[in-house]
Amino acid sequence: MTSSRHPALTATLWLAAILMLLPVLATFLNSIATGWTGGILPNGLSLGAYQTILTDGRFQSALLCSIVIAGLALSLACLLIVPAVIAAHLYWPSLDTWMARLVILPYAVPTIILMVGYLRVFSAPPLQLSGQPIVLVLTYVPLCFPMFYINVKNSLQALDTTELLEAGRLLGISDTRLLRRVILPSIFPGIALAVVLNFAGLMSEFVYARMLVGGQFETLQMYMFAQRDLSGRLSSVIVIVYFVITLLITFAAFRLVWRKETKS
Amino acid sequence: MSHHSSPAMKLLAAPFLLMLAGLVVWPLATVLIDSFSKSGAWSLGNYAEILMSAYYGQSFVNSLLISVLTTAIGMTFGFLIAVGLRYRKGGTRRIAMALANIGANLAGVPLAMALVFLLGLNGTLTLLLKASGLIDTFNVYSLTGLIIAYCYFQIALAVLLIIPVLDAIEAELEEAASLIGVGTTRFWLRVGLPVVGRQMIAITTLLFANAMGTYATTLALTSTSVNVVTIRISELVSGDVFSDPNLANAIAMALLLVLVVPIVISQLLLKGDKR
Repeated sequence: MTSSRHPALTATLWLAAILMLLPVLATFLNSIATGWTGGILPNGLSLGAYQTILTDGRFQSALLCSIVIAGLALSLACLLIVPAVIAAHLYWPSLDTWMARLVILPYAVPTIILMVGYLRVFSAPPLQLSGQPIVLVLTYVPLCFPMFYINVKNSLQALDTTELLEAGRLLGISDTRLLRRVILPSIFPGIALAVVLNFAGLMSEFVYARMLVGGQFETLQMYMFAQRDLSGRLSSVIVIVYFVITLLITFAAFRLVWRKETKS
Repeated sequence: MSHHSSPAMKLLAAPFLLMLAGLVVWPLATVLIDSFSKSGAWSLGNYAEILMSAYYGQSFVNSLLISVLTTAIGMTFGFLIAVGLRYRKGGTRRIAMALANIGANLAGVPLAMALVFLLGLNGTLTLLLKASGLIDTFNVYSLTGLIIAYCYFQIALAVLLIIPVLDAIEAELEEAASLIGVGTTRFWLRVGLPVVGRQMIAITTLLFANAMGTYATTLALTSTSVNVVTIRISELVSGDVFSDPNLANAIAMALLLVLVVPIVISQLLLKGDKR
């Protein structure tokens, strides 16, 4: 009942929400308008352009490419990162401290810098893969680290794992078994949340897709980039479709958070 | 007992460490090493070229200008929005978080495209403002256009990062202040901000780095016409007339330096806070 009811703050909130949605609204208006003759309002409305894009083979294959790459990268990230975060939390505190620092890595070292290094790394043995889609799967794994660390760590902290392990040892249950039977299932919601949030991030990745793989393997972002100067209607449809995809992923992430909140 | 199990359990982290070595340390090391290579010999020539060249100097100045400005705007609005969202019903908070999350993920090609539909030559808002006589013309493919685009995702990111930090300030503290007649503005300036000051500095450095490293939005909106660091790096490695990968390595190292120095300083400040 204090500062949040300040009228100036309420106004700021509304203004921010409107400004945030304004580009999307303008794009949406463009996507359903059949033509403009000078004025602010369109001549007529139609969803025809949506059909054109959604049935376009190039769009479908770009969407599929993005989903497959993100899926593979996330599977690999799960296998590599989750066991490491658990091991660090339970048995290796000094590694854990380092992991906490590494969370800011994608900010401190933007993809444009790593990209320059990857060009070199993937152009010679033992990883001579330059231009191949597998490069995206590999380079996307480090990008997933912060979300995995934060969410898995949060779940582990909520568990009181030290006590669990000690109780298990008293009862003669091995750590490995306890990890598999108790700890892993309990932190599963955290892992799921990390996967969903990372999925949205990977779908929006552009630097590696353009600079390391390029046009032959077209991801959704590369498709959008190639189509950005298309007829206003078709490219606005692409933006709206992408917006809806992001909306759905965000909604999925929030569902996971709510479920966790209601449980605890 | 735990002493027996821990070395084996530490092995669980081995694949991760291997990945880190191969996909982060190694590429960064090649960037560092190659930045000292010019025409096949060891030299500081690439760095000298950056320092001497007005063109590359200007790219850093432009990037810094856009980043400092949009970080300041992002932090200001992000803070105001986060304060406005305190104690609001869960629904409002969730909608705001969802909007911010979408805003942050829209950054890049789709954001640039959407802004053209809003503010381009025939953009909805451009036409609206023209019709009402407020503006004659607006060029979105410009430095101003870029600043507007950056603000979009900088504010979104600031909201996402600041909300959890403000949760650390107890509601009772704010209510107590209000009971003894301390106004909202004074409370946040005197009590609220100092309490979370160091985290706010950390978020500021992240926003700054985020803007400095932005590439997709810039390329999609202004192509190569606005001279910023990320565009210069991509041009130098993309194998056409301007190609000079080792110079790109040196510029990338210079960019890394600009980003890491403030982050290290803010991390040291945070550490001092804990003691």
